[in-house]
Amino acid sequence: MPRMTRPARRAAAVALSVTTAFALTSCAGASSSGGGTAPKIEVSTTIPQDPVTLTLAYSNDPPTKTLIDGFTKKHPNVTIKPQMTPFNDYIKSIKLSMSSDSAPDIAQYNPGAMNSLVPAGLILDLSPWSQAYGWSGKFPPASLEVLSSDKSAKQFGTGSLYAVPGGLSVLGVFYNKKIVTEVPKTLADFETAMAKAKEAGRTPLSMGALQVGGFQLWNALLNVTGDVDAYRSWVYGKPGGTIVNPAARQAAQTITDWAKKGYIPSGASATSDPDALAGFAKGDTAFVITGNWAAQTLETEMKDDVGFFLMPTPSADKPAQVASGASVAYAISAKSKHPNVAAAFLDYLSSPEAAKIEFDGGFMPVDTKAELGATGLRGDIAKVFAPVAQGNGIVPFPDYASPGMIDKLTPGIQGLINSKMTPDAFLTSLQESWEAHHGS
Amino acid sequence: MAREPSTAVSPPRAAPARGAETAGGPARPPRRLGRRARGWLYVLPALAVYLGFAIWPALNTLRLSLLTWDGILPPVWAGLSNYVKIFQDEALYEAILHSLALIVFFSVIPIGVGLLMTALLMGKVRRGMTFFRIVFFLPQVLPLVAVGITWRWLYSENGAVNQLLDAIGLASVTRAWLGDYGLALIALGLIGTWVMSGLCMMLFLAGAQKIDPSLYEAARLDGAGALRQFRHVTVPGVRREITVAGVITTIAALASFDLVFVTTNGGPAGQTNVPGLLVYRLAFNEGDIGGASALAVVLTVIVIAVVSAVRYFTRDEER
Repeated sequence: MPRMTRPARRAAAVALSVTTAFALTSCAGASSSGGGTAPKIEVSTTIPQDPVTLTLAYSNDPPTKTLIDGFTKKHPNVTIKPQMTPFNDYIKSIKLSMSSDSAPDIAQYNPGAMNSLVPAGLILDLSPWSQAYGWSGKFPPASLEVLSSDKSAKQFGTGSLYAVPGGLSVLGVFYNKKIVTEVPKTLADFETAMAKAKEAGRTPLSMGALQVGGFQLWNALLNVTGDVDAYRSWVYGKPGGTIVNPAARQAAQTITDWAKKGYIPSGASATSDPDALAGFAKGDTAFVITGNWAAQTLETEMKDDVGFFLMPTPSADKPAQVASGASVAYAISAKSKHPNVAAAFLDYLSSPEAAKIEFDGGFMPVDTKAELGATGLRGDIAKVFAPVAQGNGIVPFPDYASPGMIDKLTPGIQGLINSKMTPDAFLTSLQESWEAHHGS
Repeated sequence: MAREPSTAVSPPRAAPARGAETAGGPARPPRRLGRRARGWLYVLPALAVYLGFAIWPALNTLRLSLLTWDGILPPVWAGLSNYVKIFQDEALYEAILHSLALIVFFSVIPIGVGLLMTALLMGKVRRGMTFFRIVFFLPQVLPLVAVGITWRWLYSENGAVNQLLDAIGLASVTRAWLGDYGLALIALGLIGTWVMSGLCMMLFLAGAQKIDPSLYEAARLDGAGALRQFRHVTVPGVRREITVAGVITTIAALASFDLVFVTTNGGPAGQTNVPGLLVYRLAFNEGDIGGASALAVVLTVIVIAVVSAVRYFTRDEER
């Protein structure tokens, strides 16, 4: 029976192809072998006048290209070749391209995808330049903390600096001014406003719990009710860090309560973040919790009908001092032939001119004191962001705590929404992932 | 019982020639050796591709599954510890159960639907046959990611599915289907049914077209109605195609990844986790290449086991 062999072979071929992807990663990895200590570099804050060409790999644009243009205008002898890769491909390929012989000089830094490059010695320790340029005074300290780590890249907020930010972001609440007439001053006010919206037949909250929108709500609640130091030590992976605490439990309980009260849509678990944002932009929803990166889209869609505030605290006399945020950051390859020129680019990111470019690109500027003259929605954001950033209140997102954390956070929040998981079980699952990575 | 005309005429190709060859022993004529070498030459390009892109990576995966490796630093020998870790994780068993449940939707129902469509279209519809085929085969042509995103919208709270239910007075059952804790897996499975039914139908129609019309005629003369003709002529006639469809769709169910990844990503709360998704997360989120490879190997073994079972149960008993 000659035909009988066909399905079997086909089965084998398809089954094997499942495994192909992993094998392919191996062949590229084998050539790198990492390790090698970088040759001694003479650190300088002046750059040579000879023509220099650098390459810069990145996934976020804006602001990257305009920042490059700004820098090369100041230093006409420097050419920076941009290499753009869409985000999803970038985080999968950047490890390989950084370990290849043709590594880019500068690369947009993604802590999750790239922290194994630190122990491999493939990205430069920036501490000498940080001292030479005085970066600790030019960049918000909290934004540098998350980009510093020990040699094993497991514990953050300590050790050496590996990247600097070229634009910051902040998590908060967007509201529809047609539905919500007054910005809630307290957490209780916020809940009342959602109840009112629901009574009026509107959707109180648009949420994309299929992806990150769900745990961002939990994160935002925790920021204004919990202890920021405890949260930081947990996210940074400090020994003994734990998320099992009353405030985190209460924030998780609040999610279940809000889902039961109908503030969180029942379909949230199957809604992506872009769909949640689109749902809010349609104008029938009171609130959406996301970051300033959504501002440009919302401003185009909703004009003057949209505003922004940070998640309110339980008490009106104490406005929010902590908010989650990330940054678009850049690191220098250990294989770069012109690290001083690359470092000059990183220094440029903290300049007032760069601040304008970063803000126009949809980010909050690194120079938090820069005069931006923004109005409307982005003026709203700049107004609430500045005091938090200057007070060093920007904390990383919780998925930063361990590589597998996002796969505990997203399903955990879905379980809370569906009342299928208790707050305790949720926190325990997060802590398990933390222990598995940071160990004891 | 009707015999398959195709098997009856299939010649025992090449068998005697090979027998003669092995019997030839050391005194093999040199000309034949040259022919053999030339034969290998023809096979070489395909073989090289197959070895390079299927066999070698598979062996590599096996090797990686015995290492602890983050993708960058030098790998460390781990023995079977990756496997031990995987089998201790309850998530794997849940994921396997989910993918077994998906077999019902990706494989059993589509084969049923395919047979039904074949019975309805076979020998009756001549005009517009191509149109039907294109329509039913269309889901196979679309990329699964696009299919997934479209269905995510169709299933959403205000999506087309709920609008339809509203329109026929079933407003009480409307919900965000993929976000429903109990029904998400079924909703997901039905997308698979939609994708796979057309493929099954195409395979069966092609198979049914080679059935000798005289068999139907004979069955009719013996007084068989449409149902009995279907049972005793059509179904045995497409037995091979059923096996092929069973194998392809079962693999699609067990190794499903793209569809799940874009529709539910395993949610809500892990209710639609499948092994492929866990492999992806281990490799790309956690950077645990060893663990991911071990899981991929386990998945491959499961796929081969289930596919062998499918082939065993659909084998031709008369031979």
